[in-house]
Amino acid sequence: MKPAPTLSSAFLTPGSQSLPQPLLDLRSQRGTALADMPLPTRKTENWKYSSRHLKLSDELATALPVKGKSGPALAVPGYHVVFHNGVMVPEASDYPDVDGITIQRFADLDDSLASELAERLDNTLDAKAAQLARLNSARFEDGLYIRLAPEAVLDQPLFVISETDACSSGSAYPRIYVDAGRHSQITLVEEYISLGDEPVLVNAVTEFTLADGAQVTSVRLSAEGENVQHLGATGVRQQAHSRFDSHCVGFGGPMRRHDLQVRLEQSGANCRLNGVVVTQGKQHYDNHTVIEHVAPHCDSEETYRNIAADQSHAVFNGRIHIHQDAQKSNANMSNKNLLLSTGAEIDTKPELEIYADDVKCAHGATIGQLDKQSIFYLVSRGVDRREANTLLTMAFINELVQQIPVESVRETTQVRLNQFIEQTFEEA
Amino acid sequence: MLSIKNLHASVEGKEILKGINLEIKPGEVHAIMGPNGSGKSTLSQVLAGNEAYEVTSGEIQFNGKDLFELETEERAREGIFLAFQYPVEIPGVSNLQFLRTAVNAMRKHRGEPEMNAAEFMKTAREVSKQVDLNPEFLKRGVNEGFSGGEKKRNEVMQALLLEPKLAILDETDSGLDIDALKVAADGVNALRSEDRAILMVTHYQRLLNYIVPDHVHVLAGGRIIKSGGRELALELEEKGYGWLGIKDDDAQVAG
Repeated sequence: MKPAPTLSSAFLTPGSQSLPQPLLDLRSQRGTALADMPLPTRKTENWKYSSRHLKLSDELATALPVKGKSGPALAVPGYHVVFHNGVMVPEASDYPDVDGITIQRFADLDDSLASELAERLDNTLDAKAAQLARLNSARFEDGLYIRLAPEAVLDQPLFVISETDACSSGSAYPRIYVDAGRHSQITLVEEYISLGDEPVLVNAVTEFTLADGAQVTSVRLSAEGENVQHLGATGVRQQAHSRFDSHCVGFGGPMRRHDLQVRLEQSGANCRLNGVVVTQGKQHYDNHTVIEHVAPHCDSEETYRNIAADQSHAVFNGRIHIHQDAQKSNANMSNKNLLLSTGAEIDTKPELEIYADDVKCAHGATIGQLDKQSIFYLVSRGVDRREANTLLTMAFINELVQQIPVESVRETTQVRLNQFIEQTFEEA
Repeated sequence: MLSIKNLHASVEGKEILKGINLEIKPGEVHAIMGPNGSGKSTLSQVLAGNEAYEVTSGEIQFNGKDLFELETEERAREGIFLAFQYPVEIPGVSNLQFLRTAVNAMRKHRGEPEMNAAEFMKTAREVSKQVDLNPEFLKRGVNEGFSGGEKKRNEVMQALLLEPKLAILDETDSGLDIDALKVAADGVNALRSEDRAILMVTHYQRLLNYIVPDHVHVLAGGRIIKSGGRELALELEEKGYGWLGIKDDDAQVAG
């Protein structure tokens, strides 16, 4: 029998950016723990459909060079923080200095904050379910630390632009940690983009902890270039009556994966998770979500839509785990899928594990194609066939796009999705 | 304008139209009547270019062009409009977006400048009033959650907006109460003009009280078995299809 492939030791050597000692210590601990880590294979249940797309060759292990400046100027409305290859670019960033709100790069944290952070990093993510998120902890070279004091409210969305420079081969490890205090509020928009065409790996991890009554809105756009493998993970822990509202939009690539794990740990916590994925060509995208209903009286509402064209492949695996004490849980999961060609593949798997007896839990998954009668109706009015296809495909996801709460993001996302889908029908 | 010669068409291998001949000139209003299953809807769908129907022989000329050489969208741009018997619901595409896209596709084809959102909104509001539809419905998904009557009026509204040369109305009267029928008929009558032809397909003669045809044809068993003027429809109402030796599944002819 062939031995299971393990993570190459080349991946365990971080770059040379300076970080506070507690974070350096954490990093090396994680590195040691990852030595000889078996890589996922087809037999690894939660990597069943994606392991063959994952290519962790040694050339990707190199930390991408840090130039300390971003590429072309990014026109971002409002507050923004720019990361280049996982390292913050202060000159390109613009965010407020407000009482009660700390926004700092990891590199600038004092030792006491850094050691507090080192204690808390990775606590929101289950190591087994989001296996490769630990690689980020062994490799990050900077990160964004956000803390909201009780009742602090950030008055505008904060954009975190993570730009990866794919002009040479290597990897980047963006990291964000958000600590939302009691009844605080923040909207965070993460945007992952890239320059250049060389194969690179982006391994991004974001964590949120929400204290009682905190309200966090998270928008996550994964829109990197053709040769970028993206392994992303988001971990969330929610205390009583907190609200987490998530909107993920993913464009396909050679290997794209997002693990989203939410723990509803105290009564009254609730979350809404929306997701849209589009893939074309030979692209791949895999969403794995886990909602842990730990405490009673929590609500979760999850809606994911995938659209796969050409020979592309989309995966949705949604797990809801209702613990024994989580009576009166209310969980709703819907996953609808649209196949635009006979060569495309979509795998969807709802996983419900329920140990409480007084809960409402509903799930539904469908896979379909564009309706021929609808196409005929549109073209019979003179509408161009490609435009009719695009309109109907956009119709499949419009409802979710319209729910993105930040207007500028909603509009640009709609334009990008529209272009992507138009392109699909052009090539067909 | 429209010339159909010996048209044969089948659906899923079953021949439905067995030799249709029909001439329609600009300005004329024709009604095709017939019992269920006679091929009325098949004829409408074939004219609009639904690929689910296979034309096995015959020819159709539309304003000197071979219709079979044109795709559905090209036929629409050349001026063929079909008001559907069962308009399709398309959630996620707003009526406004759909209608503007269609109108601009036509304008582009005619070499006219496209309408911007504000211009179109103004036009659409006016036309929606003409068919007694609340302009609010423009914001909703195409036909989404519309009542049967609203769907039919939406079809008539589209005809008014798209200004076709030949409007084919497939059972536009079915499912309408008398008030809705009058509104729809007013809309259709507003379409009547010297250079536009109208082809109404209907089971009942009721609609013809409001839209008076120049010619009436009886379709049965995939063929036009009798043609005449307005009086033919009245005769049918009185005597039923049985008079022509046709069995009608519905038994009730004149509604």
